[in-house]
Parts: sequence; structure tokens; C-alpha cells
Amino acid sequence: MDWNQILDFARGPFFYTALMVFVGGLAYRVIKVVSLGWSRDRAPSAGSKTVGVAKSYAKGFIVWPFIPWVKQTFAGNAVTLIAGGVFHLGLFAVIFLGAPHMLGWKSLLGIGWPTLPLPIIDWLAAAAIAAMVALAINRMANPLLRKLSGPAEALNWLFVFLPMVTGYLMTHHLLFRYETIYALHVLAVDVMLIWIPFSRISHFVFYFFSKTIHGAQFGKRAVTP
Amino acid sequence: MSREPDRETIEQHLKAKGVSRRDFVKYAGALAGTMAFCSIPAPVGASGLPEALAAPTPDLTPLIIKALEAKPRVPVIWLEFQDCAGCTEALTRSQSPTLGDLVLNHISLDYHETLFAAAGFQAEQNRDAMMEKYYGQYVLIVEGSIPTADNGIHCTIGGRTAIDLLREAAAGAAAIISTGNCAAFGGLPKADPNPTGAKGVWEIITDKAVVNIPGCPAIPEVTTGVLLHFLVFGTLPELDDLNRPKTFYGQTIHDRCLRRPFYEAGKFAKSFDDEGARKGWCLYKLGCKGPTTYNACATIKWDAGLSFPIQSGHPCLGCSQPNFWDGGGFYQGQSAPLGRPGVAAVGTAAAAGAAIGAGVATANRVKKKQAATADTGENA
Repeated sequence: MDWNQILDFARGPFFYTALMVFVGGLAYRVIKVVSLGWSRDRAPSAGSKTVGVAKSYAKGFIVWPFIPWVKQTFAGNAVTLIAGGVFHLGLFAVIFLGAPHMLGWKSLLGIGWPTLPLPIIDWLAAAAIAAMVALAINRMANPLLRKLSGPAEALNWLFVFLPMVTGYLMTHHLLFRYETIYALHVLAVDVMLIWIPFSRISHFVFYFFSKTIHGAQFGKRAVTP
Repeated sequence: MSREPDRETIEQHLKAKGVSRRDFVKYAGALAGTMAFCSIPAPVGASGLPEALAAPTPDLTPLIIKALEAKPRVPVIWLEFQDCAGCTEALTRSQSPTLGDLVLNHISLDYHETLFAAAGFQAEQNRDAMMEKYYGQYVLIVEGSIPTADNGIHCTIGGRTAIDLLREAAAGAAAIISTGNCAAFGGLPKADPNPTGAKGVWEIITDKAVVNIPGCPAIPEVTTGVLLHFLVFGTLPELDDLNRPKTFYGQTIHDRCLRRPFYEAGKFAKSFDDEGARKGWCLYKLGCKGPTTYNACATIKWDAGLSFPIQSGHPCLGCSQPNFWDGGGFYQGQSAPLGRPGVAAVGTAAAAGAAIGAGVATANRVKKKQAATADTGENA
């Protein structure tokens, strides 16, 4: 089996399977979490739930990366927050605004959108990869984070890092032939897709659950989240 | 390779055809350029050239001249199986005086079903006689894939299967060249579901080196370049892991594409008649397979260096890559997955996941309730 065949397998049947596991796995997790239910809140409403939710999102991820002092960001672990922000920004730019990725979305969703030039995507990708390395070092160096980290955290990091680093090598035609690194990149993405629903990377769904629920609760009690 | 009295040398042949010495020397220089030689291939001793000529030299033109002057024409047997004769068309339609045209004078094409005037048993007899006379000396060029399903009956010539003819001809060949994607990797006949069990030559002939010159069709200059390499040096050019000559297949179309700067700058044509298309921007979003396609189209080009598909405004189809027919739609983005799951498949996966989730949640609730009841029982 040569790398072209591996690439076809990774882009074809394996991707298909991974996508099905991803969709099925997320549905499983969402239903399971929602089914936990929550107790009825009988307190009289003192404010607007909607406003609370809006504020929660604004401070959570719209304002925070750009105005760090809003939540006394640096009071905690600055590396986690800065590198975490850079990583997420780079990740989103690369997977949604990189031309090759947009074409992948287009083939799945049927709609396309404008993309950013390669040099911009490239620098953002490099920044995201550097941020991941910083986060890994920080996690190993910080005694508290080290206590919180187990094999699952290491795998979370690895399964996100592999697609990013193989994608970067592919773009720059480094070390491998194009079809080899392309196959490795897609294989890494497939593995990540399978891993996501059953790991904390699923926070890309559940983050919105908690932001909405907490925002509504704070809003109802008229406290600023 | 010893010179036989009954075989005229290439130079004698060209002279008889009215090619002047000046054109001959120019041609030898052009050949050295096409094959991008910067030094003599290592096993040059096997070529039978004088030792003085085998010494490394920055200019290979004199070497090529000497070789062409001294060597007899190479007998070539050209077999066609599951093909469209497109590679032959490409090779023979080169405008005179191109390399392809001249190379056809360098080889003695002793059997070629599309080109020869003879037919029937006479033609077959001639081929058999040539194969016997030049056993171990002739070059075998194969065009078209070889069907292997149902004992190979899907392609028979003169009552014999392609696989049988190939094995027979390969046994006495000094070199085997697969021209075009079909002969190299199975090509169109191999496309899913591959009803004839089509295979490339190198999957069948495994005891000899087979040079793959994939493409649909193969670039004529590449075929002639490989032939000339064999003719001049008596050896095959350096090959990559898919048995393609590195000189011609060392880089991707994307690497050498004239539209590459637009890719880097993020300027893409989004349809065949938009502003980007008119301005000659990158065709990546129109499905160009250039980044994964190894071939020399972007450098050698077609029709005597006139143009190549991307230059003419069409994305690369990746026709020199294995299984390119099954590599996703021609106009689908190269980075896109090969298949798109239908709504039903995604819905089924989601429903299955949700059902399992609901089942587990219910089981958890029952367990919780039982635990609570047990608790209450203990407390009471």
C-alpha cells in the first residue's frame, strides 16, 4: 500500500466513518448531558435572562481575548489565558478561513465563503502551534496543572497538535512528499474526529451550554456574570 | 551493445532522411537539456561507450552526439491493450522537427498496431520474428491497461489474451516502458468498479524494471526522453518509488505552476468566467489537483511548449497519478473528502447516538432512583 492509497483511504472510507462517529458521538453526549436535567428554579425573576446570556457570551469569548483586564485575566495563569486565546484564534482562522479547509466544508455543507490569503493563515497557524507548545510546557511546569493532568489531557493535546503540525509541514512542503504528509494530515484529522465527542474537546459544544445556562441564571438574579 | 553490420546507425539513418549535421548537433544539445542531465548516470559503463566519454563532464552534448553516431537504432515493440491510442496520438502528432519526431527516427518501430500498415497474421509473424531476432535487445513499450479478471478474456488480440502477449514480449525485452496512466497504473479501465480487473504493467511484470510514464496521455517528450536515455546510456533513468523517471516526475505541477503566486496570495478563480478566471488567478478552488500531481506539464508543456491545461485556464485533473479517476470529482476541491455522506446517513448516525445516549441516561436515572429508595429505606 503506497501513500496515495493511504491518502484515498483517509479521505474516503476512514473520513466517512470518523464523521459518523463524530456525529453519533456528539448526539450521544448531548442527550446524555441534557437528560441529567436540572432542578426547578423557583426564585422570582429580578432581571432579564436574555441580557444575562448576552453578557455571559460577551465577556466569555467576544470581549475577553481582546480586553484582557475585564476579568482580571492576568491574575490567574497568564500563559494559559494568552496562549489559550492565541491558540483558539489561530485554530478558528485556519479551519474556517483557510482556502483548502473551506473547500472541505463546502463539499460537506454545500456552501462556501471567502478565505484569507495563505501568508496570514500561515502565521496564525504558526502562532497556534507555538501556543500549543507553550501550553504543554506550562501544563508540565505548573504544579497545580500537573496534578489536574492525566492521560486524557495528554491525548487531547496530541490529537489536536498532530493535525496542526502535519498541516503546517504540508503547506511548506517540509520533510515529506506532499501525498505522504497530506495522508498523515487527514489521518490525524480522522482520529481527532473520532476522539472529540468522548473527550473534553467536546467543550466546543458544551461551552455554549454552560455559558447559556450560567448567563440565564445570573441574568435572572440581576448579577453581572 | 555491439554494432551489427545489418543495422544502420542513428546518424546514418538521419542523414538518409535529410537531417543536416547542424540540426543533428542542435538536437543532441536539446536532448541533454530536456533530460536535465548535469552528470552522466552512474552505470554508464554498461552503455558500451568508450571510457573517455564516460568521464564526468558538464556538457553532455558531445556524449549524446557520439552515442547517436555510433549506435544502431533501437528496435521497439509497441503493444496496445485496453487503451485509446491517445499516447500514440500525442507522440506522433508532435510538430516537426520536434524531439518526438526525431526520436521516431531513432527507433525502429517494428510493431505498432495503430501505426503499421500490415494486419492480421503477417503483422503477428513480423512481431514474433523481431522478438526472436532482437531477443534481449528490444524496448517494449506498452500502452493501455491489462485485464486480469476472468483469465484476461476482456482484451484479446489474434486470439491471445493481453496478459499472455505482455508476458511473452516482456521476457525478451531489454527495457519495458509503460506509457500513459492505463499502462502505468490501470487508468480509466481500472476506475471503480474495475469490471475487467485492469492492472498496470508493473503489477504483472515484477521480475524486470518497468519505467512508468503516467499521464493521460503521457507527455511525448518524456517518453522520448526515456527512450533516448536508454539509447545513449544503455540504462534506464533514475526512478522514484512509483517507477517514474525522477527527472520528469520529481516535482508537482503546483511546485512549478505559473499561477502559483496567486495561490500564495489567496487570489482564486471561483468560476470559469469570473474576474479571477479572466485575470489568470489560481484554479485551486475549481478543483485543481496540481498540489498532488507529479508530472512535467508545467515545465515541458504540450504542443511544442505552447501551453498546458492550467495555463489554458483549466484545473489539473491529476491524470498522471494512480487511481485519478476515483480521486474525487474533477471540479471538487482537492482538499475535500472523497465522499459526502448523505442526510440520511448523518441522520442515522445522530439518531443512533441519541438513542444510546437516552438509553444510558434512563439507566442512570433508574439507578439513581434505586439508590435514593435504598437511602430512604436505610434512613427509615
